[in-house]
Amino acid sequence: MNYWVQRLTASVMLLLAVSMLTFGAMNLLGDPLFNILGPAAADTKPESLEKVAAAKELYHLDRPLPERYVRWLGDMVTGDFGVQFGSTGQPPVSNLIAERFPRSLTLIVMAQLLASMIAIPWALITAARANRPADRVSTINSFLLIAMPNFALAVILKYIFGIKLGWFPLTFKATDPWLTRIYQTFLPALTIALPAAAVYQRLLRTDLITTLQEDFILMARSKGVSRRRVLLRHALRPSLFSFITVFGINTGALIGGSLIVESIFRIPGLGSAIVEAILREDFPIVLAIVMIITTAFVLVNVVVDIVYTLIDPRVKR
Amino acid sequence: MTDTIEKRLGTLFWVAVGWLAVISLLAIFAPLLPIKDPDAYYLVKGVRPPYSPSGTHWFGTDQDARDMFARTIYGARVSLVIGFVAIAFGMLVGGTAGIIAGYLRGRTDKLISFIFIVFLSFPSLVLAILITALLDRGLVTIALTLGVLAVAPVGRLARASTLSFAEREFVTAARAIGAGDRRIIIRELLPNVVVPMGALALLGMAVAIVAEGGLAFLGLSVEKGSTWGKLILFGAGSRELEKSPWIAFGPIIILFITVLALNYAGDRIRSYFDVKEIGL
Repeated sequence: MNYWVQRLTASVMLLLAVSMLTFGAMNLLGDPLFNILGPAAADTKPESLEKVAAAKELYHLDRPLPERYVRWLGDMVTGDFGVQFGSTGQPPVSNLIAERFPRSLTLIVMAQLLASMIAIPWALITAARANRPADRVSTINSFLLIAMPNFALAVILKYIFGIKLGWFPLTFKATDPWLTRIYQTFLPALTIALPAAAVYQRLLRTDLITTLQEDFILMARSKGVSRRRVLLRHALRPSLFSFITVFGINTGALIGGSLIVESIFRIPGLGSAIVEAILREDFPIVLAIVMIITTAFVLVNVVVDIVYTLIDPRVKR
Repeated sequence: MTDTIEKRLGTLFWVAVGWLAVISLLAIFAPLLPIKDPDAYYLVKGVRPPYSPSGTHWFGTDQDARDMFARTIYGARVSLVIGFVAIAFGMLVGGTAGIIAGYLRGRTDKLISFIFIVFLSFPSLVLAILITALLDRGLVTIALTLGVLAVAPVGRLARASTLSFAEREFVTAARAIGAGDRRIIIRELLPNVVVPMGALALLGMAVAIVAEGGLAFLGLSVEKGSTWGKLILFGAGSRELEKSPWIAFGPIIILFITVLALNYAGDRIRSYFDVKEIGL
């Protein structure tokens, strides 16, 4: 139990540090008042001054920085991300997030599912044939895939499956039915999934090979358990450790990569939202998205820890 | 990563190094070489550009009839500089902080390690977006931004290898004959930590070059001059891909081979020196 308390404290500390850093940087390096009002922020005309006063009131800019931070933090914890700068507060940032977030989540979940679905059978097959020709070819393939930049892979997949073969649509329509949108998300998800699958496969393969040399595997084989059954029932589960760790850590990197993939395949998710917000210097949106991404990252790592204890009860301290 | 660690770098390693040398030399001496002007319009009368690859235009031309091969070589100038400066900065700052943390331990280590974790918990691209958004988009800013991203991974590796070396006999021996902290760090620890960091530097340079491409796709790369990322972006629209795929694929191939060479060379050095605590 003590272990979980420690984990929780560390996660909360981390989120606080990230939020302070982002909040501080945005407010100190940027000029919120200018971002809200534009050039009028520096005017000395009476009507401009009135606007400035009103904006300061609305966005609490007349308060000292720490107070603004605490106020923002309190709101955020209750799910209120404040108001957008650009469109003078309407609609609230939370609405935008609620609209964009599910699309990005679908993309990441689909990508990770695809990656696991590719990596696990791939690792099982190559581990069973370790160092034979098929395995060597696969090692070269995974090396190539890992080196492939995601935007380059996106362009290649878009060219082959979207343009030459025409199997997948090149546009994403928010108004399409749910199933169609899943279909439209497939190619971007595959772009994210392929290099991830290569990373997972390499790890899982190495661990499987180590496990396959253990005594209990020999025991199972000598009792007459078939090779396939030994692989699936005996060897896979104890080999999943590094795979699950990296699965968690990688989620952060994939979220970053998904921003690019979203923009190439024109999926209006959090990726495009944060880029647009940054270009407009609409800080509340940027802050909200950074916090969501970091929270997701921390959450995934906690989930990874929980899954550990499920796979191997010895981990519980 | 092979299963049996061979104590040879192998032919392929030298091929990779050869490629890196060639592309660097091409980039450095581009203005002196007999290649086309990257900004000139090589229009052919009566034919609308883009022109497909041919003997005169090896990688074809873009919509404005500019030579893609020349543009790719000139793009290498910016991309490679960004990659190099980024990882040099990461090595300098991250390496120093990591060695200090690993050597002094205690509170300093806790603080530095926590800062590393904070940086690593931002998805790196988000951090890059934040910095480029708040500052400007000049070459130096982009390169240093990517350098900041390299600090935490490099630092963690430097810290891990310092930890493993700081307890060894030769460090104790140096301390016994009266060497100070500064001397131990520079003369005893640094030479040992540099090797694993060198391997990471090659991998990191590849990451930085790719990250620049990623930023380009978000419209956040350097404003002036063309980079590989920007070249690929210009060729990646649906219409361009359909009519003139070579615009994107020329730079993609060169970028990919370069990244591959960096990864492979880094990987080989890592297994050659048997570096275990790689912090990636």
